[in-house]
Amino acid sequence: MHTWAFDAIGTRWRVDAAADIDRAAVSALVDDFDRTWSRFREDSQAARLRSDGRADLGEHAPAILDLYDRLYALTEGAVSPAVGASLERLGYDADYTLTASGEAIPAFRWPEASRDGSTVETGQPVVLDIGAVGKGYLADLVADLIGAPVTVDASGDIVHRGPGPLRVAMEHPADPSRAVGIIELPPGHGVAASATNRRAWGEDLHHVLDARTGRPESGIVATWAVAPSAALADGLATALFFAAPERVVEEFPGVGCAVIDRSQRIRAAGLPGEIFR
Amino acid sequence: MRRTARTAVLTAAASAALFTAACGSEAERVEPTTAPSSPADSADGAESGSFTPGDYEATGSYQTPGGTQSVDVDLTLEADGTITDLDVDGNAEGGNSEQFQGKFESGIDAEVVGKKITELDVSKVSGSSLTSGGFNDAIAQITDDARA
Repeated sequence: MHTWAFDAIGTRWRVDAAADIDRAAVSALVDDFDRTWSRFREDSQAARLRSDGRADLGEHAPAILDLYDRLYALTEGAVSPAVGASLERLGYDADYTLTASGEAIPAFRWPEASRDGSTVETGQPVVLDIGAVGKGYLADLVADLIGAPVTVDASGDIVHRGPGPLRVAMEHPADPSRAVGIIELPPGHGVAASATNRRAWGEDLHHVLDARTGRPESGIVATWAVAPSAALADGLATALFFAAPERVVEEFPGVGCAVIDRSQRIRAAGLPGEIFR
Repeated sequence: MRRTARTAVLTAAASAALFTAACGSEAERVEPTTAPSSPADSADGAESGSFTPGDYEATGSYQTPGGTQSVDVDLTLEADGTITDLDVDGNAEGGNSEQFQGKFESGIDAEVVGKKITELDVSKVSGSSLTSGGFNDAIAQITDDARA
């Protein structure tokens, strides 16, 4: 068993694989992804959408933006890759100023963007942020590159391609020493989670914004999703702040999910594993 | 804010993440209290699944918008990888993390049922990505370090 832990795109990664891990290749993959998509880099391709209203987002753009289209439809516009300016306005910017610089602003209406292959045109400055999907998508890419059997753990967004299920504790949103359930992650699946408590920086300010208003408005405080890819799991973990678990499972057959709302009720649909009762 | 879990039995042997070759480790072994119980096994670490028993501590870090936070993990490890005693301290010092941990602690146990992670046979934790990274990181450091 070979293991490698590293930091990338602002989080800790850990890879366990049966075969040797080509670290240089993984690093190149991650760097390339970051250089294309990072909201925090002025030299990224995504930054061109801000400066030019037009950008070529590379080979993964169709898959990532197609997924965003489905999430946008599922949440009636709450989940959008154009939410970057709203995040910056509330202080979640490259410098982590964490100070709201004015009233919340709704995101650019993403359906108005035109796409041609990997090129996106908005006709006006748009701050792209693929935070709802990017980490999971990159975890899938890393797992693809290394080859099965492999487990890629991007700090809780996990791709598992091993011989048997991986038991994953569902962290209690208020107490990291406790779990509210256990996910039995099937081989060939990914799990992702999102919670508003830690990436929060002020009264009711956190990183999950409703693109329609630019405000962190949701009655949900923590989510989990299991799906055949970590990209989908990651995206659904965000969508679950705006769409009920039953609706998500109906729209995406074969996925599982759970949410905890502000009143501390936990609800699950199709989740492999156990919710403690 | 510090919160402590002091309970038992996380079976490390089931975890792919714990069958590791050594990598950069910040785990620190403290006051070994027992001798290795199966010295014959300790020579071929990864295949036998044997660990150097003893008390270990490690700090896993994670990034938040308010800066780097950490989770301290102290545990007692048996030679077969069973964790028999474990403390987890979330160190949110100052800033918003502390404020929000406190805020969310009130009333959250009303309807969800939380069990100690240390009482569960799990390989990974998924939740707030920040904290989970810290926990998984700290456990991994310890088990890397404990590979005989």
